[in-house]
Amino acid sequence: MANEMQLNNISENNFEQCLKCSICTVYCPVSAVNPAYPGPKQSGPDGERYRLKNPEFFNDALKMCLNCKRCEVACPSGVNVGDIIQKARMKHNTHSPKLRDMMLANTDFVGSMATVVAPVANFAVSLGVSKAVLHSVMKIDKHRTFPAYASQKFETWFKRNAQAQQSKYSKHVSFFHGCYVNYNFPQLGKDLVKIMNACGYGVHLLDKEKCCGTALIANGLYDQAKRQGETNMSSMRSAIAKGRTIVTTSSTCTFTMRDEYHHLLDVDNHDVRDHITLATRFLFQLIDEGKLKLAFRDDYKKRVAYHTACHMERMGWAIYSTSLLKMIPGLDLVMLDSQCCGISGTYGFKTENYETSQKIGDSLFKNIADANVEAVATDCETCKWQIEMSTGVPVLNPISIIADAIDVEKTIELNKNR
Amino acid sequence: MKFNTVIMGGGLSGLTCGIALAQAGQRVAIVATGQSSLHFASGSFDLLGYDSEGKAVENPVEAINALPESHPYKKVGDVEKLTAQAQDLLAAAGIKTTGKAGKNHNRLTPLGAVKPTWLTMEDYITIDGDKINYKQVALMNIIGYLDFPTKFIADGLRKLGAEVEVKPITLPELNEARKSPTEMRATNIAKVLASEAIVKRLASEINAKASNAEAILLPAVLGIKNSELAQLLKEQVNKPIHFVATIPPSVPGTRMQALLRKRFEALGGTFLNGDKAVKGEISGTKLNSIETEKLVGTRLEADNFVLATGSFMGRGIVSDYEKVYEPVLGADVDFIADRAQWTRDNVWEAQPYMEFGVKTDAQLHVMKQGKPLSNTYAAGQVLSGNNKVKLASGEGVDMLTALTVANNILNK
Ligand code: SF4
Ligand code: SF4
Repeated sequence: MANEMQLNNISENNFEQCLKCSICTVYCPVSAVNPAYPGPKQSGPDGERYRLKNPEFFNDALKMCLNCKRCEVACPSGVNVGDIIQKARMKHNTHSPKLRDMMLANTDFVGSMATVVAPVANFAVSLGVSKAVLHSVMKIDKHRTFPAYASQKFETWFKRNAQAQQSKYSKHVSFFHGCYVNYNFPQLGKDLVKIMNACGYGVHLLDKEKCCGTALIANGLYDQAKRQGETNMSSMRSAIAKGRTIVTTSSTCTFTMRDEYHHLLDVDNHDVRDHITLATRFLFQLIDEGKLKLAFRDDYKKRVAYHTACHMERMGWAIYSTSLLKMIPGLDLVMLDSQCCGISGTYGFKTENYETSQKIGDSLFKNIADANVEAVATDCETCKWQIEMSTGVPVLNPISIIADAIDVEKTIELNKNR
Repeated sequence: MKFNTVIMGGGLSGLTCGIALAQAGQRVAIVATGQSSLHFASGSFDLLGYDSEGKAVENPVEAINALPESHPYKKVGDVEKLTAQAQDLLAAAGIKTTGKAGKNHNRLTPLGAVKPTWLTMEDYITIDGDKINYKQVALMNIIGYLDFPTKFIADGLRKLGAEVEVKPITLPELNEARKSPTEMRATNIAKVLASEAIVKRLASEINAKASNAEAILLPAVLGIKNSELAQLLKEQVNKPIHFVATIPPSVPGTRMQALLRKRFEALGGTFLNGDKAVKGEISGTKLNSIETEKLVGTRLEADNFVLATGSFMGRGIVSDYEKVYEPVLGADVDFIADRAQWTRDNVWEAQPYMEFGVKTDAQLHVMKQGKPLSNTYAAGQVLSGNNKVKLASGEGVDMLTALTVANNILNK
């Protein structure tokens, strides 16, 4: 009886397991640079005790949390510190999002508008004048270079150039491309199709794909995030029913759909979660099980540093991307210490956060400069903007590196009879 | 994924074992559940501070002989050789220490007490016997930093024969950090004192306040990544300066964790941070692979495995209302069946539950259902038979059993 009570008496997010050891605070990137932030222990389990008694104990400083989850990775007691903080924000924050936050949050709406007028949009945001307007009126920091918008969406390219050939393969995956691939960098999607096809897999779009919602969550648009989450889950269910795994190229989208949907938004994903995977993990696991072989070009040579994005760290999956990269004979891979780059999605775009954001990333940028590499590899698109802006070193998704290094003919040959 | 050895646990014992094996050319992975109890480290390493009767030990190497057969030290072999190996391993990782196994020295606790210990990180105050080397010391503390009870420490120092003046110091940046008063912890202060420029200003502040003291004592709040800034401070302050351990989270402990991990990775090791072993696949008396919480669908296969998951706090062993068990492999655990006997009412007495842990054979093979698992070893606090609080033996057991396991694996 007593035993059963103990086993069943587990509080939401393991909040009662907190030992007050403060180890989480040691690894919080915001605490390290901004003394106004109370840190994960105080904002999370400690503050929650008070908030449960009286919501007036909610503190606005909680919006300084990046939702990077490094506190959760560090906690020896399995407390979901970051989730406690996000939930408190969802429950108690009464401010409605500003126009700026809505713009930054709606990555797919703004994205599709901008793709239509890409040259103008890129030109406009690069102009000093409009940056000044963004800075002073919208409070989007003037130092930021906006990710450029592509003139043709990935989906458009795919439908025109690739879709028809996909049915000729015997095995299939669905691709959740995300906003970044669709609007800003279709090349990454093309790289994925190239690799998958070489490995004998046809690639398919989902019936209906919506932005994963990470930016909506960060900017307080929870209802919209939940609706989009539900649309994604139902599209994925029909893909899974056809026996397809859902592959992605973004660690943050993956983390959001696998963990945040359920933890924060109450979107039921229990039957979908394990079918969503990063493309690098998908490939590595096939190779590890002896079901796939990759062949690489003899003349490929590059020195690259790997940066572990926060949500990649939280998922514990950096090992998949790095193990895959290490298979490329001509690649010299340097591991950077795992730390936050400071951008955290849309956080660093806001004027009030710019300084904190750059301070957080500072030692990472120094490490990159010292590593003497041609490129940085990372699985997160917002890290890419931050690192490129702050160091000038080009940043590549591991999938793009594989696509560049792979020997397509030989790979097809190797996997013919598998 | 295949490795020569997979180690469960990324604290002092797991990392020590991992470094020793990687140094010998093995392909090693460590699965680390969150951060370890190194974050509570005092800056010293205990080997054996007290004997079974609670008497302070002068020569741990000798006193180890008198421990009961159930103590893990009885399975490690040549203590003197292993302690030297441990000290070298720390030094190679950038953790320089003083002390030797044949003779304990004393350390100063954050509450001003004196305790026997084996090694202490350089730059820390150490005490030979019951006298401190200085007649007049300035005990400096940062204004607003509460994890450093200066009154107790000053009292402790006076008992050691020193005259003590307590001096508050600060810098504008440290004052700024007081905005979150609850977060004025050693590690957060270390993050403020993180550049050469600010350390130089701290040195001037210290020099200005030192008056006629012979030496300066300062809480250990410098150098979360390495000891370079502590070194710089020493050069800039014009009197001898030593650190005193603080209440955790500990800056030297955080630094040790980072440096040992770095060393392990530099030797080619794979460190799976924030993941945990959940299950093992055993056939007969052999562990073939383990599964982790995060790497679903990927088994970690290895020739040998090491269980270095710690005691209750690290969840290497877990208790419920009826029993104590080892959650990953279901290994045999030594514990008292009658739950009422687990604890003593007087908290200052040795608590029996502290000795609970995994059963092993003479080579530290993990026992399961009465038989040793032929390729699976245990090291560190997960082992039964050691009350590290009573004996002051924590770090010694962590490192010496880890090195023994590494040797047993390599000599197979
Ligand atoms: S949340 Fe975890 S890491 Fe933070 S204080 Fe509590 S137990 Fe320690
Ligand atoms: S999620 Fe990140 S920013 Fe937020 S409290 Fe945790 S470590 Fe700090």
